[in-house]
Amino acid sequence: MASEATLGSGRRNWLPAWLAGDTVQGIRRQRMVLGVLFLLPTLIGLILFVLGPIVVAVAMGFMKWNVFRPPEFVALKNFARLFRHDLVGNSFGNTFVMMAMTVGMLEVFAIALALSVHRFARSRLAYFFRTVWFLPVLLSGVSVAVTLSYMFHTDFGVVNYYLGVLGIDKVPWLVSSDVVRFSVSLATVWRNLGFTFIIYLGGVSALPQEILEAATVDGARGLKRLWLITLPLLSPTILFATVIDVIRLLQFFDEPYVMTRGGPGDSSRTAVMMVYDTAFANLEFGYASSISVVLFLIILAVTGFQFLLSKRWVFYQ
Amino acid sequence: MSALSRREMLQASAATMAAAALPASVTLASAPSQDNITLRLQADPRDYQEVIDAYAGVAPNVSVEPVSVTGIDHAEVATKILASLAAGTPVDIGFAATEATQLYAGEGLAMGMKDRLLDQADDLMEYFSDVSPVLVETDFYEGDLYQLPRDFNAANMWLNTKLLGEAGLELPGEDWTKDDFNEYARALTGLGPEGDSFGFAWNNGLWGGWLPWIFVNGSNLLSEERVGGGEWLWDTFYADDPNAEGRGGGFRWPEPQANNAANVEALEHVVALTRDGHAPSVERGFAENLSGFFAADKIGMYPGGGFFTGFLQDAGMEPGTYDAQFWPRWQSQRHQLGVGALWILIGGSEDAAWDFVKWHTGRDVMEMIGFFRVTRTTPARRSMCTAERFPNVSNWNIFYDTVDARPDTGPIPAPVFSIELTNIFTRYTEVAVSLEQSPQDTLDAMQRELEDLYARNA
Repeated sequence: MASEATLGSGRRNWLPAWLAGDTVQGIRRQRMVLGVLFLLPTLIGLILFVLGPIVVAVAMGFMKWNVFRPPEFVALKNFARLFRHDLVGNSFGNTFVMMAMTVGMLEVFAIALALSVHRFARSRLAYFFRTVWFLPVLLSGVSVAVTLSYMFHTDFGVVNYYLGVLGIDKVPWLVSSDVVRFSVSLATVWRNLGFTFIIYLGGVSALPQEILEAATVDGARGLKRLWLITLPLLSPTILFATVIDVIRLLQFFDEPYVMTRGGPGDSSRTAVMMVYDTAFANLEFGYASSISVVLFLIILAVTGFQFLLSKRWVFYQ
Repeated sequence: MSALSRREMLQASAATMAAAALPASVTLASAPSQDNITLRLQADPRDYQEVIDAYAGVAPNVSVEPVSVTGIDHAEVATKILASLAAGTPVDIGFAATEATQLYAGEGLAMGMKDRLLDQADDLMEYFSDVSPVLVETDFYEGDLYQLPRDFNAANMWLNTKLLGEAGLELPGEDWTKDDFNEYARALTGLGPEGDSFGFAWNNGLWGGWLPWIFVNGSNLLSEERVGGGEWLWDTFYADDPNAEGRGGGFRWPEPQANNAANVEALEHVVALTRDGHAPSVERGFAENLSGFFAADKIGMYPGGGFFTGFLQDAGMEPGTYDAQFWPRWQSQRHQLGVGALWILIGGSEDAAWDFVKWHTGRDVMEMIGFFRVTRTTPARRSMCTAERFPNVSNWNIFYDTVDARPDTGPIPAPVFSIELTNIFTRYTEVAVSLEQSPQDTLDAMQRELEDLYARNA
């Protein structure tokens, strides 16, 4: 050991005195510096690609900028304008409605699927179902949206064709303001179900079997067992999945942009579409930034609210 | 001397052959520089590779790098170009359809060409003699010319002659009217192999949407006026062309008039087509697919310019099953058009870019462009609009006659803020054609939003 310390000391001659010593403090300092060095690439990445853009976006929210002329400081004018702007309110409203519909469908279908597929956990069918249900997640959102917009076309779409075969009238899937948000949500559920399903499948697989078996012995079966035993045990997973899905879906863009461009009128225009159009079509980058800052704060608040509520219904073992 | 590799030898041979094939009249304005210059050109390499290879033989120190930008319409393409500008990666030579011409010029991005055109007038005389003044006037902005027209499309009417035959109808004459059109739309509905065809279909956009109906009803979405100036060009290049008389330095659209009586009447006309089942529902995400349904005998009539020729060929439509005609007459028969051309970014390699753009006007150069081979747009050069370029279209001559024989043909209204204008126009159109709001209420609301838009951009 002594020879190692001597060797080590020799190699560290180039280090400053406060770092080179073989004392306990010296070694702690060396470990700290090493830790910082390992963290540095991540920190630089975070600062450059996450914190930097956030700071710039917030700062831009107080500016008027159209790319062609230098930014001009306008204080809170952008924020005051967005609270008066009907279209912004409408876009946020649509976002919440579509998010609620989509998350609702996602969680219910994904839990149901996970519980069903879990029954085949020991068979090869489990691989088949996991793969099949996850496949849509691997597809490009835009390709899916284009294909589904063809399928949902009122007059030429295959969905209405088969409804017609069943004697059902044509449904204006994408051209009725009453139906369009549901259609877009349905398309989003189809593509994203696999992701949420895999989260729940992991959760269901980790449920303590002894509790479930004890419940069965005690006579809890079917919906009663699901409602009183399985779902409470699954509640941490439900919290995780809903938080992730709510954050993703408050940033709804691909499906409504490709399928409807926000229409008919503004019935399916979402907050992120509003940001995109304001920035790149209207060239109001400052105003667009202020909308995105408000969206960021709303997502933060909704997520915080979810965690706050979770104290009442999430059961940790 | 080092030995040339096989690849280098082939490249050198191709460049030499391409250079040899170029018209002798093309000369470069700027003195050849020893410095190597890279020009970023907004173009699809599949269409432009041959042009780029040929230019390597003309200007060996200039390397042209194609930048492909796609979009569902020209407004979206312009949006992406502005995004690239914001990101600090602009193109040196951009492409603009009419939707974006005034946007780039008005925002001080595009270079005015007046001085260079006058300095090098002799080199360009042949080009202008081959291009209709209607197209050139569209590329003016406030008295200066910002683009040299490369291609254009006016909204004509394509007809599925197979369905016409099934309905016992002849191809309509060039002076057909809106009432004739309605008869055709009725007769062509419910035919085809499955008895489910629609008489007419259209896309929701500024070009080729329901705006052609506004034009023929003697109106426009925005009030339209000619800007003074431009004599420098008309006197230099079009002194003997009667079609150039009375033209000025571009168009201006001083105020919105979305809800005037003629526009309401035009919107009621297209809404009635959908309501009565003669036109399918108009859906944004579906636009590109309608040409396929035309080819599959599910649509009887469809708005389009010469560009539709290539689409129908690609769709495998049989010769003799389609043809084109002018847009039907209503109060007038004024057609709408959009012109496509290259523009030069101010502050970049302007001289080198100008050399390329000027060289690019040569007919031999234009013949190399991929989308003129299988006709996906109408050439701005009259001499390139031949029967061979529009195979199986017996009325192929109407594409250029729309600007030569009908000099009142005018541009779609596309002021500096045309992207936002297009968004407003299409959004409200959707509401009306989905039968959720009356045309009058829709256009009243559109007018209010357009007035706000004008106020913001005053």
